Formats: sequence, C-alpha cells, structure tokens
Amino acid sequence: MDLVLITGILAAGIRLGMPIALAAIGESVSERSGIFNIGIEGIMLSAAFVGAWGSAGTGSPWLGIVFAMVIGLLLAGFHALMVLVLGVNQFISGIGMVIFGLGFSSFAARLTIAAKPTSIPGLPAIDLGALSNIPFIGPILFGQSPLAFIALVLALAAGWVINRTAFGLEIRACGEGDEVARALAVPVNGRRTACILFGGLTAGLGGAYLSVVQVHAFVENMVAGRGFLAVACVMLGRRRPFIAFLSSLGFGIAEATQIRLQTIYPDLPYQFLVILPYLAAIVALVIGHRNVERSA
Amino acid sequence: MITTRLIRLGLIVGFAALVPAVFVLLAGQSLWRVLTTLVLYAFGPQGWSEVLVHAIPLTLIGLGVAFALRAGLFNIGGDGQFIAGTVVSVFFAPYFGGLGLVGLLAFLTCGFIGGAALGALVGYLRERFNASEIIVTIMFNYVAVQMVSYLIRGPMADPMPFWPRSYMIPPDCILPVLVPGTRLHAGLIVALAMVIVFAIIQHRTVFGFQSLVLGANPGAAIYAGFRVKALTVLVMAVSGGLGGLAGAVEVGGLYQRIVDNMGEGFGLAGIAVALIARLEPIAIPFAACLFGIFFAGGGALQRELALPFPLVWIVEATVIFAVAALHWALPDRKVAA
Repeated sequence: MDLVLITGILAAGIRLGMPIALAAIGESVSERSGIFNIGIEGIMLSAAFVGAWGSAGTGSPWLGIVFAMVIGLLLAGFHALMVLVLGVNQFISGIGMVIFGLGFSSFAARLTIAAKPTSIPGLPAIDLGALSNIPFIGPILFGQSPLAFIALVLALAAGWVINRTAFGLEIRACGEGDEVARALAVPVNGRRTACILFGGLTAGLGGAYLSVVQVHAFVENMVAGRGFLAVACVMLGRRRPFIAFLSSLGFGIAEATQIRLQTIYPDLPYQFLVILPYLAAIVALVIGHRNVERSA
Repeated sequence: MITTRLIRLGLIVGFAALVPAVFVLLAGQSLWRVLTTLVLYAFGPQGWSEVLVHAIPLTLIGLGVAFALRAGLFNIGGDGQFIAGTVVSVFFAPYFGGLGLVGLLAFLTCGFIGGAALGALVGYLRERFNASEIIVTIMFNYVAVQMVSYLIRGPMADPMPFWPRSYMIPPDCILPVLVPGTRLHAGLIVALAMVIVFAIIQHRTVFGFQSLVLGANPGAAIYAGFRVKALTVLVMAVSGGLGGLAGAVEVGGLYQRIVDNMGEGFGLAGIAVALIARLEPIAIPFAACLFGIFFAGGGALQRELALPFPLVWIVEATVIFAVAALHWALPDRKVAA
C-alpha cells in the first residue's frame, strides 16, 4: 500500500469516525455515572435533522450546530426524566428514544428541508496554513473540521474530570455503587442528570457533524447505526472517554477502508464490504468485552 | 393516594395524546380529520383486513421479543432474524414443491430455523464472551440487510429480474388467502397458534418457568441449578425463531418471494408490541392489532392527507414511553421488566 492511499484512508477515517467519537465521549461519561443511553442513535438522528434545518434556516452552520446541541440536551433530559424520576427501565427508554428519533427526524424533514431543494451551509476545515501541508501528518491531523478538535479536547477533558476531580469521583461513585454514593451525601440523581445531559450534548454534536459537516444534507436514517456503534465503543473503551474516542476513530478507519476497497475490488459485491464495520463491532465486543462486568 | 395516581395517570395519558397531536398540528392538519380518516380506514371495508395483515408479523415478532425480555434478554434483532427467516425458507423452498401441506410446514419451519440460528448465535456470544446482546443483535440487523440485498441481486435473484427480488417460491409454500378479495392470509392462523403455544410454554412448562426465573432473578436461577448458559442460548434461539417465522409467513402470505425492504421496521415495532402487552402472550395479538392500525392507517394518512408516514414511529415511541411510565402512576401493579 502506498503512502497516499494510507494517508487518504486515515484522514477519511478520522472524518468518518468523528460522529461516533463525539457520541461515545458523552455516552462513556453517562455510563460512568451508571446510566446507559442506547437512545443516542435517536438523539443523533434528531440532531442531524435539527442541525441541517437550523443551518439551512439561519444560514450559519454554527447556529445549526447549536440547535443540534439543544435538541440533544432536550432529548437526553427526557431520558433522565424517564429513568431517574419515573423509574423506567433505561433500555426501554433508550429504545423509545431510538424510535422517536427515527420518526421525528424523517417526519420533520419531509415537511421542511426535504420538501423543497434546500442548500445547507457546511462547516469548512480550518486553515492551519503550513501545518496542513506537512506530508502524511498534515492532511490527517490538520485537514480536519474544527469540530474534530473540539471532540479531541472534550475527550481529554472528560477523562480528566472523571479521573482527577472530586466531581469525577462522585460520578464514579454513582456508577459503581449508588448506595455508597448516597450514604456519602452525593446527590446521585443530580450527578447522573448532569452526565446524561452531557451525553445528549455530545450526541447532538455527533449528529450535527454528520449532517452539517460531513454530508451537507439530511438523509433519512442517515445515522445508520453509528449511535449503537458509539455504545459499542464505550464498551470497548471500558467507559474511559479517550479510549472510547480512539475506538470510534478505529471504526471510522474501518469504514474508510471498506469504501476504498469498493473501488479497488469493483467485482466484489459491495454488500460484503459495507458490513465490515458492523462485523468489526461484533468481533471487537467478543474479544474486548470478555472480562468486563456484564453490561446488560 | 388515589388522587396522586389519577393525576399521574392523567399526565401520562395527556403526554401520549399530546405528542402525536403536536406533530399532526405542526404538519398543518386538523386532528379531527386525521382521527376520522384513521378510524374510518382501519374499520372500513378495505382497512380491517390490512390491519390484520400487519398484525400477523408483529404478533410473531412481539411474542419473540416478549419471550426473551421475560428472561431478561433484550432482543432488538427482530429485523435481522426476520430477514434470516426469509432467506433460509426461500432458499429451501424449491425442494418443497409438490409436497402439499407438508411442504408448507417445512417452509415455515425453515423460517423458524433461520431466525433461531441467528438468535442462538447471539445467545452464545453473550454467554461465552459476555458480548452485549443488545449491541450484537443491532449489528446483525445491519449485516442481514446488506446480505439479503446481495442475495436477491445475486445467487437468489429472480431469473427475470425487473427489479431486485428473489425467485418465487413453489405454490405449495404459499399461505392461502382466507377472505377472498383481501390480502388476509393463513398466516393469521399461524400467528394465533403461536400465541397459544407460547402462552402454554410461558405458564405451563419447566422451560417457560426457568426462563421467567432467569429474567426475574439471575442469581436465583444459578443457585437453583438451572443450566443458565444453555437456557440463555435456547431462549434467544426461540425468540429469534419467532422473528424468522414472521419472515417466512410474510413471504408465504404476501410476496411469494423476497423483495427489497420487506418487513422494514417490524423489529422495532415488535418491541413496542411486546412492551404494550406487558410481555403477556395472550395480550400480544391485541397490541399487534393496535400497531396494525397505526401501520395500515399510517399508509392511508400518507395517501389521503399527505401526512408523512414516519408519524407512525412517533406514535410508537410515545406509546412505549407512556406504557413504560405506567408503573410510576400505578406502583403496586406488576409491571414487566
């Protein structure tokens, strides 16, 4: 394999993995506090639509991204309400959220941006001048969208907060044994709500990345399992945000590789390549999740 | 006490009514018109049979989801198992030509086996490698969609393909139409038979009892000496098998072949059906009919009022949330999961 190909795959892989990575950062924090949200697939879909709609309506991709974050917060808040206040099983609430996201995003899109031709202003890559021109590293690391750098900072910051601060210690206490946390007067539901909301925020960013940064359009069901892949990455990363972030980029690279392979082997039915990231997720769970406590 | 419950119940019912209503209003439609269109269609001369036609696969998948969930296993792979059922049954169907009723039963059994194999694999991965069945079933859904897309364009394609679809199954494997002039087929009998079978398995057999214990208290199941690993694999196999049977029934009753995107979304709807029926086999066909009204009626709303079909998913999600929240309003009621 030549260097140009590898550079291309890595650069594209980071781009393709970024929506998963963003969602995985928040989900790992949420799971650290003890609450699963398998509904992030639905949150990402809703955010992908709202982001596209907002940026088409206002003409500003950044405003679209803010809208997407707001819908992420709202839906995650609803999950928190269901699970923490009403005592609903977190997986059932999550599945409800997946179905809602599917319905809301497709329904609303058909009434708005899909009903007439709409151009969605995208987010250009930031120009880092000479840095982007460094061979190999330049296009991979410095040809990325600003959201990619925000994601990196978020992943590192989330890990730091969880491992190095008193707030993070309380979060871990909530996740590992909420009775102890309660006994130590940690406001368990408050901490968990904060973590779930953070999860909604980054899932919203992930959805917006997909529609506003990557595709510059909203396509029905465009998240296509990336939310679930993010949950798988959190399992692989054993709920550590930065490892989950890196695993997500791994899936992005798998996706980029399969897209390249489609052009290299045009005779091979493309379906066998499209399934690679999903199979990779199953294999990774089988190998990587062996000795972790049962997650479901 | 009573007033708290009534207020909470009112909040839930209000929420369940409000959310779909808001989306209908946002779409610029009148609530009254939408409701009357839905009801007139669902209970009208054409609609009632379409409601039942949709309720057939939803009953089967719902039974499967409920059976697994009773055992504490989240089977979100209804879509994938449905596809596995269509593929295996249609693959073997040519061998069943000329066998009459035996051929039909063999055809349906193949569907069950297809879904069961996929379900068993998920159960095995969970027990052997601790891989979350939630994620694994979802991943297999995406894999199955791609594989069937390949098969009906390649090895299993129609010899004269106008559009992507598989070859036809022999006439013996076709489920006959029950009411002339409608699409209502003998899959209804299959579905109702399964409801009875699973009501008996759930409440009257050792297997059903052990799976209930496994779901209610896994520790107790281990302590009681149940073979928990084998039980998990078996429960997932049975659950997946029902999804696969739904696939075979849908092929035998409606399409006579595999077509693109058939049964799309039935897996998720099956979860909703199971939850609304509180995982109780006898209640599942009724919940499935409710969703049959949404599915068939949603199509009618799209045709007649240009109301986008995804409204059905919004309603589905709302119902899931509302039913899940019921035990907040009525705490001493036995609520599954």
